[in-house]
Amino acid sequence: VENSDDAIITKNLDGIITTWNKGAQRIFGYTAAEAVGKPVMILIPEDRQHEEPAILTRVRSGDRVDHYETVRRRKDGTLLDVSLTISPVRDQRGEIVGASKIARDITELRRAREALQESHHELEKRVMDRTSSLREAIAQMEEFSYSVSHDLRAPVRAMQGYAKAVLEDYGEQIGEDGRNYLARIVRSGERMDRLVRDILTYSRVARAELTFRPIALNMLVEDIINQYPEMHPPRARIMVDQRLGTVSAHEASLGQAISNLLNNAVKFVASDVTPEVRVYSEERGEWIRLWVEDNGIGIRPDHQARLFGLFQRVHPDKKYEGTGIGLAVVRKSIERMGGRVGMESKGAGSKFWIELKRAL
Amino acid sequence: MTAQRTPILLVEDDDHDVFFLRRALLKARPDLSLHVVTDGEQALDYLDGRRNYADRTMYPLPSLMFLDLKLPYFNGFQILEHLRGIPALAEMPVFVLTSSSEDRDRNRAIALGAKAYLVKPPTAEMLLQVLESSAKGASDTG
Repeated sequence: VENSDDAIITKNLDGIITTWNKGAQRIFGYTAAEAVGKPVMILIPEDRQHEEPAILTRVRSGDRVDHYETVRRRKDGTLLDVSLTISPVRDQRGEIVGASKIARDITELRRAREALQESHHELEKRVMDRTSSLREAIAQMEEFSYSVSHDLRAPVRAMQGYAKAVLEDYGEQIGEDGRNYLARIVRSGERMDRLVRDILTYSRVARAELTFRPIALNMLVEDIINQYPEMHPPRARIMVDQRLGTVSAHEASLGQAISNLLNNAVKFVASDVTPEVRVYSEERGEWIRLWVEDNGIGIRPDHQARLFGLFQRVHPDKKYEGTGIGLAVVRKSIERMGGRVGMESKGAGSKFWIELKRAL
Repeated sequence: MTAQRTPILLVEDDDHDVFFLRRALLKARPDLSLHVVTDGEQALDYLDGRRNYADRTMYPLPSLMFLDLKLPYFNGFQILEHLRGIPALAEMPVFVLTSSSEDRDRNRAIALGAKAYLVKPPTAEMLLQVLESSAKGASDTG
């Protein structure tokens, strides 16, 4: 008792201090000689003096007061935060004759608590600020790509449209060369339009809000193939394994990725070869790897590393129309869903894969 | 006084796009007349028969409408919304004609009652097809 860090004080039912330990001296500044015999009120600030009668009433009726947090006053007049535990003291006959009071200095604790609360508020405020500026950035981005899709494409469409109109209405008069030049304007416009559309797709994939749900790969692959006439006989043959499995993914992003892979698979094929594509999958622990294997022209090993980068075309040949964005879209969408992409090609044919978490 | 032929209303702010629609319509249905307004406010005025368009002899209610989405003052979606509140125009087919191929726009336009969603540029074949489909759907207005 004597060496406790806490102040341990007893008082009688009149509120007069009867014992006073070292801890009490340390905390309140009075020595035992100064405190014993004095009213306990010397420790209570003016505005808290109403607490004492209430405490005494409880003690008289035999109740304890546990961890009551309040403010007390030191000898030098400074205030400190304390936690009080007060229990009745009984004499040999069991009569309540006073109270023992354990006072713990919680000034530091209270400060720490307040600091914690303050930094908590600060943090909350910062999160809110960041979230709102992020929202703003996303809204601006959406506004931007909306403008791109409308405003940037409009002049291209107009150029194409007028070139076509001249071809149709005056083609006879302007001769072979003239018609050829106009056709080139139309083709360049088409290419520009395709570039803008592909960039839009990329930005859409890059910023889409992802919601995950189990996606049955067979159903998705089938839906995609049904959308493209160039993926059906006689133009191409796509063989899809029966049990591709179910992955956890954002449907639109995954659909975009698979559709780009399938489009590439039927596109980059020698002109005298009918595209043959095989789609299958393998389980790798908690992952499912979906393979798209083609009989196309293949990709040289030294080109494979940059294949998934933006604006990378490894077949700049006029025969193969492309913007160099398709595989970047594949990588962006799969990586945003926590998955991986890759490819293998040895001479003829390529095998592309995407890997996503299996749905539970 | 000759009876005013019920026109097609085109809401389009880009004069190139006005030219291309006129040209395609001329090839598809040279018998149909086209009235053009170039912003959302004019479109609402025309449909409500207000201000410059108060005279229904000069500006009769259109039998159908081609509507761009991105327009000054009021956009295409707002016009579609407004149309829902006019019983006299509830039956008028509205064809959205836009450069946006975004599903988001398509779904919203259809949900707001657009009869079809067409992506620019318009061609004579495209116009013939939608005009035929709207003629099939509509009751005979003479």
